[in-house]
Amino acid sequence: MTSLLSVQGVTKRFGGLVAVADVTFDIAPGELVGLIGPNGSGKTTLLNIMSGNLSGDEGTIRLDGEPCTGLKPQRLARRGLMRMFQLTRIFPRMNVLDNLLVSGRALGLAADEAKVRANGLLEELQIAHVRHLDAGQLSGGQMKLLEFGCCFMRTPRLALLDEPFAAIHPTMKEIMSRFIRARHAEGQAFVLVSHDMPVIVELCPRSICMNAGRVLSDGKTSDVLTAPAVIDAYLGGAAA
Amino acid sequence: MSGDIRLRREFIATSLLLLVLALLPLAMRDVYWLGVLVVSAYFAILASSWNLLAGFTGQFSLAPAAFAMIGAYGAALSAAYYNVPPLIGLLIGTVSAGLIGLVLGRIVMRLRGPYLALTTLSFAEIVRLVASNSINITRGDLGLPLEPWFNDRVIWFYVFLSALTFVICGLYLLLRSQAGLFLEAIRDDEIAAARSGVRIVFWKTAAFAISSAAAGFAGALYAYFASLVTPELGLVQQTGLVVSMTVIGGMGSLIGPVVGAFLVYVTSEWLRDVGGWQLVIFAALVIVFARLFRAGLWGLVITALAPRRKLA
Repeated sequence: MTSLLSVQGVTKRFGGLVAVADVTFDIAPGELVGLIGPNGSGKTTLLNIMSGNLSGDEGTIRLDGEPCTGLKPQRLARRGLMRMFQLTRIFPRMNVLDNLLVSGRALGLAADEAKVRANGLLEELQIAHVRHLDAGQLSGGQMKLLEFGCCFMRTPRLALLDEPFAAIHPTMKEIMSRFIRARHAEGQAFVLVSHDMPVIVELCPRSICMNAGRVLSDGKTSDVLTAPAVIDAYLGGAAA
Repeated sequence: MSGDIRLRREFIATSLLLLVLALLPLAMRDVYWLGVLVVSAYFAILASSWNLLAGFTGQFSLAPAAFAMIGAYGAALSAAYYNVPPLIGLLIGTVSAGLIGLVLGRIVMRLRGPYLALTTLSFAEIVRLVASNSINITRGDLGLPLEPWFNDRVIWFYVFLSALTFVICGLYLLLRSQAGLFLEAIRDDEIAAARSGVRIVFWKTAAFAISSAAAGFAGALYAYFASLVTPELGLVQQTGLVVSMTVIGGMGSLIGPVVGAFLVYVTSEWLRDVGGWQLVIFAALVIVFARLFRAGLWGLVITALAPRRKLA
Protein backbone atom coordinates (compact mmCIF):
# COMPACT_ATOMS: atom_id res chain seq x y z
CA MET A 1 0.00 0.00 0.00
CA THR A 2 1.41 3.44 -0.95
CA SER A 3 1.22 5.58 2.14
CA LEU A 4 0.00 9.17 2.09
CA LEU A 5 0.62 9.64 5.80
CA SER A 6 2.78 7.30 7.83
CA VAL A 7 2.76 7.52 11.62
CA GLN A 8 5.48 5.37 13.18
CA GLY A 9 5.93 4.84 16.90
CA VAL A 10 4.66 8.28 17.93
CA THR A 11 4.75 8.85 21.68
CA LYS A 12 3.87 11.92 23.73
CA ARG A 13 4.20 12.31 27.49
CA PHE A 14 2.91 15.11 29.71
CA GLY A 15 4.99 14.64 32.85
CA GLY A 16 4.07 11.19 34.12
CA LEU A 17 1.07 10.84 31.82
CA VAL A 18 1.61 9.02 28.53
CA ALA A 19 -0.98 10.68 26.30
CA VAL A 20 0.06 8.90 23.11
CA ALA A 21 2.00 5.63 23.35
CA ASP A 22 3.87 4.14 20.42
CA VAL A 23 1.12 4.78 17.88
CA THR A 24 1.72 3.37 14.40
CA PHE A 25 -0.56 3.40 11.36
CA ASP A 26 -0.63 4.42 7.70
CA ILE A 27 -3.21 6.34 5.71
CA ALA A 28 -3.41 5.59 1.99
CA PRO A 29 -4.24 8.27 -0.61
CA GLY A 30 -8.00 8.76 -0.83
CA GLU A 31 -8.73 6.90 2.40
CA LEU A 32 -11.39 8.10 4.84
CA VAL A 33 -10.44 6.91 8.28
CA GLY A 34 -12.44 7.35 11.47
CA LEU A 35 -10.43 7.96 14.64
CA ILE A 36 -12.52 7.00 17.63
CA GLY A 37 -12.06 6.32 21.31
CA PRO A 38 -13.20 7.49 24.72
CA ASN A 39 -12.47 11.00 26.01
CA GLY A 40 -8.84 11.30 27.06
CA SER A 41 -7.74 8.43 24.83
CA GLY A 42 -5.21 10.64 22.99
CA LYS A 43 -7.05 11.33 19.72
CA THR A 44 -6.69 15.12 19.82
CA THR A 45 -3.11 14.92 21.11
CA LEU A 46 -2.27 12.64 18.19
CA LEU A 47 -3.96 15.05 15.77
CA ASN A 48 -2.01 17.92 17.35
CA ILE A 49 1.25 16.06 16.68
CA MET A 50 0.22 15.14 13.14
CA SER A 51 -0.70 18.75 12.33
CA GLY A 52 2.46 20.25 13.87
CA ASN A 53 0.66 21.96 16.78
CA LEU A 54 2.54 19.79 19.26
CA SER A 55 5.84 17.99 19.00
CA GLY A 56 5.99 14.31 19.86
CA ASP A 57 8.63 12.85 22.17
CA GLU A 58 9.35 9.84 19.99
CA GLY A 59 8.45 8.51 16.56
CA THR A 60 8.32 9.80 13.02
CA ILE A 61 5.65 11.08 10.68
CA ARG A 62 5.96 11.08 6.90
CA LEU A 63 3.70 12.81 4.40
CA ASP A 64 3.97 11.47 0.85
CA GLY A 65 7.12 9.63 1.91
CA GLU A 66 8.83 12.85 3.04
CA PRO A 67 9.64 13.26 6.73
CA CYS A 68 7.49 15.95 8.36
CA THR A 69 8.07 15.30 12.06
CA GLY A 70 8.31 18.60 13.92
CA LEU A 71 7.29 20.79 10.97
CA LYS A 72 5.23 23.86 11.90
CA PRO A 73 1.51 23.86 11.05
CA GLN A 74 1.98 26.52 8.34
CA ARG A 75 4.61 24.38 6.58
CA LEU A 76 2.37 21.33 6.80
CA ALA A 77 -0.60 23.33 5.49
CA ARG A 78 1.44 24.34 2.47
CA ARG A 79 2.32 20.67 1.97
CA GLY A 80 -1.38 19.83 1.91
CA LEU A 81 -2.21 18.81 5.47
CA MET A 82 -5.18 20.81 6.78
CA ARG A 83 -6.63 20.66 10.28
CA MET A 84 -10.04 21.48 11.71
CA PHE A 85 -10.00 21.95 15.48
CA GLN A 86 -12.41 20.54 18.05
CA LEU A 87 -12.92 23.99 19.56
CA THR A 88 -13.71 26.21 16.59
CA ARG A 89 -10.84 28.40 15.43
CA ILE A 90 -11.77 31.19 13.05
CA PHE A 91 -10.97 34.90 12.72
CA PRO A 92 -13.91 36.49 14.60
CA ARG A 93 -13.20 40.14 13.69
CA MET A 94 -12.84 39.41 9.98
CA ASN A 95 -15.80 38.77 7.73
CA VAL A 96 -16.69 35.30 6.53
CA LEU A 97 -15.31 35.80 3.02
CA ASP A 98 -11.99 37.14 4.34
CA ASN A 99 -11.71 34.14 6.68
CA LEU A 100 -11.64 31.92 3.62
CA LEU A 101 -9.40 34.26 1.64
CA VAL A 102 -6.70 34.03 4.34
CA SER A 103 -6.33 30.30 3.62
CA GLY A 104 -6.57 30.77 -0.11
CA ARG A 105 -3.96 33.52 -0.34
CA ALA A 106 -1.59 31.91 2.18
CA LEU A 107 -1.72 28.67 0.23
CA GLY A 108 -0.75 30.43 -2.98
CA LEU A 109 -4.00 31.18 -4.82
CA ALA A 110 -4.20 34.45 -6.78
CA ALA A 111 -6.66 37.04 -5.43
CA ASP A 112 -9.35 36.41 -8.09
CA GLU A 113 -8.94 32.66 -7.96
CA ALA A 114 -9.25 32.70 -4.16
CA LYS A 115 -12.46 34.76 -4.35
CA VAL A 116 -14.06 32.40 -6.86
CA ARG A 117 -13.07 29.39 -4.76
CA ALA A 118 -14.31 31.01 -1.52
CA ASN A 119 -17.67 31.95 -3.03
CA GLY A 120 -18.06 28.43 -4.41
CA LEU A 121 -17.38 26.93 -0.98
CA LEU A 122 -19.79 29.34 0.72
CA GLU A 123 -22.55 28.28 -1.71
CA GLU A 124 -21.78 24.60 -1.23
CA LEU A 125 -21.75 24.93 2.56
CA GLN A 126 -24.91 27.08 2.43
CA ILE A 127 -23.49 30.04 4.31
CA ALA A 128 -23.19 32.38 1.32
CA HIS A 129 -25.90 34.67 2.80
CA VAL A 130 -23.60 35.59 5.71
CA ARG A 131 -20.44 36.13 3.63
CA HIS A 132 -20.14 39.81 4.63
CA LEU A 133 -20.87 39.33 8.33
CA ASP A 134 -18.03 39.29 10.84
CA ALA A 135 -17.29 35.66 11.63
CA GLY A 136 -17.74 36.37 15.36
CA GLN A 137 -21.42 37.12 14.70
CA LEU A 138 -22.17 33.67 13.26
CA SER A 139 -23.98 30.89 15.10
CA GLY A 140 -21.87 28.05 16.50
CA GLY A 141 -22.86 25.77 13.62
CA GLN A 142 -22.08 28.38 10.99
CA MET A 143 -18.67 28.92 12.60
CA LYS A 144 -18.00 25.18 12.33
CA LEU A 145 -19.00 25.23 8.66
CA LEU A 146 -16.72 28.23 8.08
CA GLU A 147 -13.71 26.55 9.70
CA PHE A 148 -14.53 23.41 7.74
CA GLY A 149 -14.53 25.48 4.53
CA CYS A 150 -11.17 27.05 5.42
CA CYS A 151 -9.61 23.58 5.18
CA PHE A 152 -10.72 23.23 1.56
CA MET A 153 -9.69 26.55 0.02
CA ARG A 154 -6.97 24.59 -1.70
CA THR A 155 -7.66 20.88 -2.10
CA PRO A 156 -5.64 19.32 0.73
CA ARG A 157 -3.70 16.06 0.44
CA LEU A 158 -5.17 15.09 3.80
CA ALA A 159 -7.81 16.77 5.97
CA LEU A 160 -7.72 16.12 9.71
CA LEU A 161 -11.18 16.87 11.11
CA ASP A 162 -11.50 16.93 14.89
CA GLU A 163 -15.12 16.57 15.98
CA PRO A 164 -16.64 18.49 13.06
CA PHE A 165 -20.17 17.33 13.95
CA ALA A 166 -20.09 18.17 17.65
CA ALA A 167 -22.94 20.41 18.84
CA ILE A 168 -24.31 21.38 15.44
CA HIS A 169 -27.77 21.19 13.93
CA PRO A 170 -28.56 18.00 11.95
CA THR A 171 -29.04 20.07 8.77
CA MET A 172 -25.50 21.43 9.05
CA LYS A 173 -24.22 17.96 9.88
CA GLU A 174 -25.80 16.71 6.69
CA ILE A 175 -24.21 19.54 4.66
CA MET A 176 -20.79 18.59 6.02
CA SER A 177 -21.37 14.84 5.57
CA ARG A 178 -22.44 15.38 1.97
CA PHE A 179 -19.35 17.49 1.34
CA ILE A 180 -17.07 14.81 2.83
CA ARG A 181 -18.76 12.04 0.81
CA ALA A 182 -18.41 14.02 -2.43
CA ARG A 183 -14.76 14.89 -1.85
CA HIS A 184 -13.96 11.35 -0.76
CA ALA A 185 -15.50 10.06 -4.00
CA GLU A 186 -13.09 12.36 -5.85
CA GLY A 187 -10.12 10.83 -3.99
CA GLN A 188 -9.73 13.21 -1.05
CA ALA A 189 -8.21 11.61 2.08
CA PHE A 190 -9.62 12.34 5.55
CA VAL A 191 -9.03 11.48 9.16
CA LEU A 192 -12.30 12.05 10.98
CA VAL A 193 -12.44 12.20 14.79
CA SER A 194 -15.95 11.80 16.10
CA HIS A 195 -18.03 10.29 18.88
CA ASP A 196 -20.98 10.12 16.48
CA MET A 197 -20.96 6.40 15.71
CA PRO A 198 -23.76 6.43 13.06
CA VAL A 199 -21.76 9.02 11.10
CA ILE A 200 -18.53 7.04 11.49
CA VAL A 201 -20.31 3.89 10.28
CA GLU A 202 -21.86 5.75 7.35
CA LEU A 203 -18.76 7.65 6.20
CA CYS A 204 -15.66 5.73 7.19
CA PRO A 205 -14.76 2.39 5.60
CA ARG A 206 -11.85 2.12 8.04
CA SER A 207 -11.55 3.11 11.69
CA ILE A 208 -8.86 3.28 14.32
CA CYS A 209 -9.91 3.06 17.94
CA MET A 210 -7.60 4.47 20.61
CA ASN A 211 -7.65 3.94 24.33
CA ALA A 212 -5.23 5.24 26.96
CA GLY A 213 -2.94 6.59 24.23
CA ARG A 214 -2.65 3.28 22.35
CA VAL A 215 -4.24 1.91 19.21
CA LEU A 216 -6.77 -0.60 20.42
CA SER A 217 -8.06 -1.70 17.05
CA ASP A 218 -7.46 -0.74 13.41
CA GLY A 219 -9.38 -2.13 10.47
CA LYS A 220 -12.77 -2.21 8.75
CA THR A 221 -15.16 0.00 10.73
CA SER A 222 -17.67 -2.83 11.22
CA ASP A 223 -14.90 -5.05 12.58
CA VAL A 224 -13.50 -2.35 14.86
CA LEU A 225 -16.91 -1.54 16.33
CA THR A 226 -17.59 -5.19 17.11
CA ALA A 227 -14.14 -5.94 18.52
CA PRO A 228 -14.57 -7.03 22.17
CA ALA A 229 -11.74 -4.74 23.34
CA VAL A 230 -13.42 -1.69 21.72
CA ILE A 231 -16.82 -2.58 23.15
CA ASP A 232 -15.26 -3.06 26.54
CA ALA A 233 -13.22 0.17 26.56
CA TYR A 234 -15.41 2.55 24.57
CA LEU A 235 -18.82 1.48 23.37
CA GLY A 236 -20.04 -0.52 26.32
CA GLY A 237 -22.94 -2.95 26.13
CA ALA A 238 -25.16 -0.67 24.01
CA ALA A 239 -23.20 -1.22 20.81
CA ALA A 240 -23.03 -4.97 21.06
CA MET B 1 -19.15 44.35 5.84
CA SER B 2 -16.20 43.45 3.62
CA GLY B 3 -12.84 44.29 5.19
CA ASP B 4 -11.89 46.03 1.94
CA ILE B 5 -14.93 48.32 2.03
CA ARG B 6 -14.39 49.08 5.73
CA LEU B 7 -10.75 49.98 5.09
CA ARG B 8 -11.62 52.11 2.06
CA ARG B 9 -14.24 53.99 4.10
CA GLU B 10 -11.67 54.65 6.84
CA PHE B 11 -9.13 55.80 4.27
CA ILE B 12 -11.61 58.26 2.72
CA ALA B 13 -12.52 59.60 6.17
CA THR B 14 -8.83 59.98 7.07
CA SER B 15 -8.14 61.78 3.80
CA LEU B 16 -10.99 64.20 4.49
CA LEU B 17 -9.67 64.80 8.02
CA LEU B 18 -6.17 65.48 6.67
CA LEU B 19 -7.68 67.88 4.12
CA VAL B 20 -9.47 69.80 6.88
CA LEU B 21 -6.25 69.90 8.90
CA ALA B 22 -4.38 71.22 5.86
CA LEU B 23 -6.74 74.23 5.82
CA LEU B 24 -6.11 75.14 9.46
CA PRO B 25 -3.06 77.40 8.91
CA LEU B 26 -5.24 79.55 6.61
CA ALA B 27 -7.42 80.44 9.59
CA MET B 28 -4.82 80.28 12.34
CA ARG B 29 -1.35 81.82 12.31
CA ASP B 30 -0.61 81.62 16.03
CA VAL B 31 2.94 80.20 16.38
CA TYR B 32 2.19 78.43 19.65
CA TRP B 33 -0.89 76.61 18.32
CA LEU B 34 0.90 75.76 15.07
CA GLY B 35 3.55 74.10 17.24
CA VAL B 36 0.82 72.18 19.04
CA LEU B 37 -0.54 70.96 15.70
CA VAL B 38 2.95 69.88 14.60
CA VAL B 39 3.43 67.83 17.77
CA SER B 40 -0.08 66.39 17.30
CA ALA B 41 0.90 65.26 13.81
CA TYR B 42 4.06 63.70 15.27
CA PHE B 43 1.94 61.75 17.75
CA ALA B 44 -0.51 60.81 14.99
CA ILE B 45 2.34 59.11 13.06
CA LEU B 46 3.53 57.41 16.23
CA ALA B 47 0.02 56.25 17.19
CA SER B 48 -0.66 55.02 13.63
CA SER B 49 2.58 53.02 13.64
CA TRP B 50 1.73 51.51 17.04
CA ASN B 51 -1.79 50.76 15.81
CA LEU B 52 -0.35 48.60 13.01
CA LEU B 53 1.28 46.46 15.67
CA ALA B 54 -1.34 46.47 18.45
CA GLY B 55 -4.56 47.16 16.53
CA PHE B 56 -3.98 45.16 13.36
CA THR B 57 -1.54 42.43 14.45
CA GLY B 58 -2.39 42.00 18.14
CA GLN B 59 1.13 42.62 19.44
CA PHE B 60 0.88 44.94 22.42
CA SER B 61 4.32 46.56 22.42
CA LEU B 62 5.22 49.26 24.93
CA ALA B 63 8.16 50.61 22.96
CA PRO B 64 6.79 53.09 20.36
CA ALA B 65 8.38 56.08 22.11
CA ALA B 66 11.69 54.20 22.34
CA PHE B 67 11.68 53.63 18.57
CA ALA B 68 10.87 57.31 17.98
CA MET B 69 13.84 58.13 20.20
CA ILE B 70 16.06 55.70 18.25
CA GLY B 71 14.99 57.42 15.00
CA ALA B 72 15.67 60.84 16.52
CA TYR B 73 19.15 59.82 17.72
CA GLY B 74 19.84 58.16 14.34
CA ALA B 75 19.22 61.50 12.64
CA ALA B 76 20.90 63.63 15.32
CA LEU B 77 24.06 61.51 15.67
CA SER B 78 24.56 61.25 11.90
CA ALA B 79 24.12 65.03 11.62
CA ALA B 80 26.40 65.79 14.58
CA TYR B 81 29.23 63.41 13.67
CA TYR B 82 29.00 63.10 9.87
CA ASN B 83 27.21 66.30 9.00
CA VAL B 84 24.68 64.48 6.83
CA PRO B 85 21.85 66.50 5.24
CA PRO B 86 18.36 66.22 6.81
CA LEU B 87 16.90 63.90 4.15
CA ILE B 88 19.74 61.41 4.66
CA GLY B 89 19.39 61.86 8.43
CA LEU B 90 15.69 61.01 8.15
CA LEU B 91 16.57 57.90 6.18
CA ILE B 92 19.21 56.84 8.74
CA GLY B 93 16.79 57.38 11.64
CA THR B 94 14.04 55.41 9.91
CA VAL B 95 16.26 52.51 8.84
CA SER B 96 18.04 52.20 12.20
CA ALA B 97 14.72 52.07 14.07
CA GLY B 98 13.41 49.54 11.51
CA LEU B 99 16.46 47.29 11.86
CA ILE B 100 16.39 47.35 15.67
CA GLY B 101 12.63 46.67 15.45
CA LEU B 102 13.38 43.68 13.22
CA VAL B 103 15.76 42.22 15.81
CA LEU B 104 13.43 42.94 18.74
CA GLY B 105 10.51 41.52 16.73
CA ARG B 106 12.36 38.21 16.33
CA ILE B 107 13.26 38.12 20.03
CA VAL B 108 9.70 38.70 21.26
CA MET B 109 8.14 36.53 18.55
CA ARG B 110 6.60 33.96 20.87
CA LEU B 111 5.60 36.37 23.64
CA ARG B 112 2.06 37.58 24.11
CA GLY B 113 0.00 39.80 26.43
CA PRO B 114 1.73 40.96 29.62
CA TYR B 115 4.98 39.13 28.75
CA LEU B 116 5.30 40.98 25.44
CA ALA B 117 4.34 44.28 27.09
CA LEU B 118 6.88 43.82 29.89
CA THR B 119 9.70 42.77 27.54
CA THR B 120 9.18 45.72 25.20
CA LEU B 121 8.87 48.06 28.17
CA SER B 122 12.18 46.75 29.52
CA PHE B 123 13.77 47.22 26.09
CA ALA B 124 12.45 50.79 25.96
CA GLU B 125 13.90 51.62 29.37
CA ILE B 126 17.27 50.04 28.52
CA VAL B 127 17.51 52.07 25.30
CA ARG B 128 16.55 55.29 27.09
CA LEU B 129 19.04 54.71 29.91
CA VAL B 130 21.82 53.87 27.42
CA ALA B 131 21.11 57.14 25.59
CA SER B 132 20.97 59.01 28.88
CA ASN B 133 24.25 57.58 30.19
CA SER B 134 26.32 57.64 26.99
CA ILE B 135 27.30 61.19 27.77
CA ASN B 136 30.43 61.14 25.58
CA ILE B 137 28.38 60.30 22.53
CA THR B 138 24.87 61.68 23.12
CA ARG B 139 25.62 64.39 25.71
CA GLY B 140 23.16 62.53 27.95
CA ASP B 141 20.27 64.52 29.38
CA LEU B 142 21.77 67.76 28.02
CA GLY B 143 20.59 66.61 24.62
CA LEU B 144 22.09 66.64 21.17
CA PRO B 145 21.45 69.86 19.23
CA LEU B 146 20.60 69.90 15.53
CA GLU B 147 20.64 72.64 12.93
CA PRO B 148 16.97 73.56 12.32
CA TRP B 149 15.75 72.45 8.90
CA PHE B 150 13.12 75.20 8.62
CA ASN B 151 12.19 78.04 10.91
CA ASP B 152 8.68 78.72 9.70
CA ARG B 153 6.12 76.73 11.70
CA VAL B 154 3.63 76.79 8.81
CA ILE B 155 6.21 74.96 6.69
CA TRP B 156 6.83 72.54 9.55
CA PHE B 157 3.10 71.90 9.86
CA TYR B 158 2.84 71.00 6.18
CA VAL B 159 6.01 68.85 6.38
CA PHE B 160 4.51 66.84 9.26
CA LEU B 161 1.11 66.67 7.59
CA SER B 162 2.77 65.35 4.41
CA ALA B 163 4.70 62.81 6.49
CA LEU B 164 1.46 61.72 8.19
CA THR B 165 -0.27 61.44 4.80
CA PHE B 166 2.65 59.36 3.51
CA VAL B 167 2.42 57.00 6.50
CA ILE B 168 -1.37 56.69 6.25
CA CYS B 169 -1.17 55.93 2.49
CA GLY B 170 1.56 53.37 3.15
CA LEU B 171 -0.50 51.69 5.88
CA TYR B 172 -3.60 51.71 3.66
CA LEU B 173 -1.74 50.03 0.79
CA LEU B 174 -0.21 47.51 3.19
CA LEU B 175 -3.50 46.68 4.90
CA ARG B 176 -5.51 46.27 1.70
CA SER B 177 -2.90 43.88 0.30
CA GLN B 178 -2.70 40.23 1.31
CA ALA B 179 -0.30 41.32 4.06
CA GLY B 180 -3.21 43.09 5.79
CA LEU B 181 -5.30 39.94 5.55
CA PHE B 182 -2.53 37.89 7.16
CA LEU B 183 -1.80 40.44 9.91
CA GLU B 184 -5.47 40.62 10.92
CA ALA B 185 -5.67 36.82 10.87
CA ILE B 186 -2.66 36.63 13.23
CA ARG B 187 -4.33 39.20 15.50
CA ASP B 188 -7.57 37.22 15.67
CA ASP B 189 -6.12 33.73 16.15
CA GLU B 190 -2.49 32.86 15.60
CA ILE B 191 -3.11 29.09 15.68
CA ALA B 192 -5.88 29.34 13.09
CA ALA B 193 -3.64 31.56 10.94
CA ALA B 194 -0.83 28.98 11.09
CA ARG B 195 -3.32 26.24 10.18
CA SER B 196 -4.30 28.32 7.16
CA GLY B 197 -0.68 28.42 5.99
CA VAL B 198 0.18 31.98 7.11
CA ARG B 199 3.92 32.39 7.80
CA ILE B 200 3.56 33.66 11.35
CA VAL B 201 7.22 34.41 12.11
CA PHE B 202 7.71 36.33 8.85
CA TRP B 203 4.59 38.49 9.12
CA LYS B 204 4.88 39.25 12.83
CA THR B 205 8.51 40.28 12.38
CA ALA B 206 7.64 42.34 9.31
CA ALA B 207 4.89 44.16 11.23
CA PHE B 208 7.28 44.89 14.08
CA ALA B 209 9.96 46.21 11.72
CA ILE B 210 7.53 48.37 9.69
CA SER B 211 5.92 49.80 12.82
CA SER B 212 9.33 50.55 14.35
CA ALA B 213 10.56 52.16 11.13
CA ALA B 214 7.48 54.42 11.00
CA ALA B 215 8.00 55.42 14.66
CA GLY B 216 11.68 56.07 13.89
CA PHE B 217 10.66 58.22 10.92
CA ALA B 218 8.40 60.30 13.18
CA GLY B 219 11.18 60.63 15.76
CA ALA B 220 13.79 61.67 13.18
CA LEU B 221 11.46 64.30 11.77
CA TYR B 222 10.67 65.55 15.26
CA ALA B 223 14.41 65.82 15.98
CA TYR B 224 14.80 68.36 13.16
CA PHE B 225 11.69 70.22 14.33
CA ALA B 226 12.75 70.42 17.98
CA SER B 227 16.45 71.01 17.08
CA LEU B 228 17.34 69.05 20.21
CA VAL B 229 17.21 65.33 20.93
CA THR B 230 17.05 64.17 24.55
CA PRO B 231 16.30 60.78 26.15
CA GLU B 232 12.98 62.30 27.30
CA LEU B 233 11.59 61.41 23.87
CA GLY B 234 11.66 57.76 24.93
CA LEU B 235 9.96 58.21 28.30
CA VAL B 236 7.32 55.63 29.10
CA GLN B 237 4.83 58.50 29.64
CA GLN B 238 5.16 59.22 25.90
CA THR B 239 4.19 55.62 25.18
CA GLY B 240 1.25 56.00 27.57
CA LEU B 241 0.13 59.01 25.57
CA VAL B 242 0.40 57.05 22.29
CA VAL B 243 -1.65 54.17 23.72
CA SER B 244 -4.29 56.58 25.10
CA MET B 245 -4.59 58.39 21.77
CA THR B 246 -5.08 55.12 19.90
CA VAL B 247 -7.59 53.71 22.39
CA ILE B 248 -9.63 56.94 22.51
CA GLY B 249 -9.58 57.40 18.72
CA GLY B 250 -10.27 53.76 17.89
CA MET B 251 -7.74 50.94 17.90
CA GLY B 252 -7.66 48.73 14.82
CA SER B 253 -8.99 51.44 12.50
CA LEU B 254 -6.93 53.55 10.11
CA ILE B 255 -8.45 56.84 11.24
CA GLY B 256 -8.69 56.22 15.01
CA PRO B 257 -5.09 57.05 15.97
CA VAL B 258 -5.14 60.26 13.87
CA VAL B 259 -8.37 61.49 15.49
CA GLY B 260 -7.11 60.45 18.93
CA ALA B 261 -3.70 62.10 18.54
CA PHE B 262 -5.07 65.51 17.48
CA LEU B 263 -7.93 65.43 19.95
CA VAL B 264 -5.89 64.36 22.96
CA TYR B 265 -2.86 66.56 22.32
CA VAL B 266 -4.78 69.72 21.36
CA THR B 267 -7.17 69.26 24.30
CA SER B 268 -4.30 68.62 26.71
CA GLU B 269 -2.70 71.89 25.64
CA TRP B 270 -6.04 73.64 25.96
CA LEU B 271 -6.41 72.22 29.47
CA ARG B 272 -2.87 73.20 30.44
CA ASP B 273 -4.25 75.93 32.69
CA VAL B 274 -5.93 73.36 34.93
CA GLY B 275 -2.51 71.91 35.74
CA GLY B 276 -2.36 68.31 36.94
CA TRP B 277 -6.09 67.84 36.35
CA GLN B 278 -5.52 67.35 32.62
CA LEU B 279 -3.83 64.01 33.39
CA VAL B 280 -6.74 63.00 35.61
CA ILE B 281 -9.21 63.88 32.84
CA PHE B 282 -7.34 61.81 30.21
CA ALA B 283 -6.81 58.88 32.54
CA ALA B 284 -10.54 58.88 33.28
CA LEU B 285 -11.32 59.11 29.55
CA VAL B 286 -9.12 56.11 28.80
CA ILE B 287 -10.92 54.11 31.51
CA VAL B 288 -14.32 55.09 30.08
CA PHE B 289 -13.33 54.18 26.49
CA ALA B 290 -11.59 50.95 27.46
CA ARG B 291 -14.61 49.90 29.54
CA LEU B 292 -17.53 51.15 27.47
CA PHE B 293 -16.42 52.08 23.94
CA ARG B 294 -13.82 49.57 22.83
CA ALA B 295 -14.03 50.79 19.24
CA GLY B 296 -13.16 54.35 20.34
CA LEU B 297 -14.51 57.59 18.92
CA TRP B 298 -14.46 56.24 15.37
CA GLY B 299 -16.56 53.30 16.52
CA LEU B 300 -19.06 55.71 18.06
CA VAL B 301 -19.27 57.65 14.78
CA ILE B 302 -19.85 54.44 12.81
CA THR B 303 -22.56 53.30 15.24
CA ALA B 304 -24.27 56.70 15.04
CA LEU B 305 -24.23 56.70 11.24
CA ALA B 306 -25.30 53.07 10.82
CA PRO B 307 -28.84 52.64 9.47
CA ARG B 308 -31.16 51.48 12.21
CA ARG B 309 -33.08 48.27 11.61
CA LYS B 310 -36.74 48.41 12.55
CA LEU B 311 -38.14 45.52 14.50
CA ALA B 312 -41.05 43.88 12.71
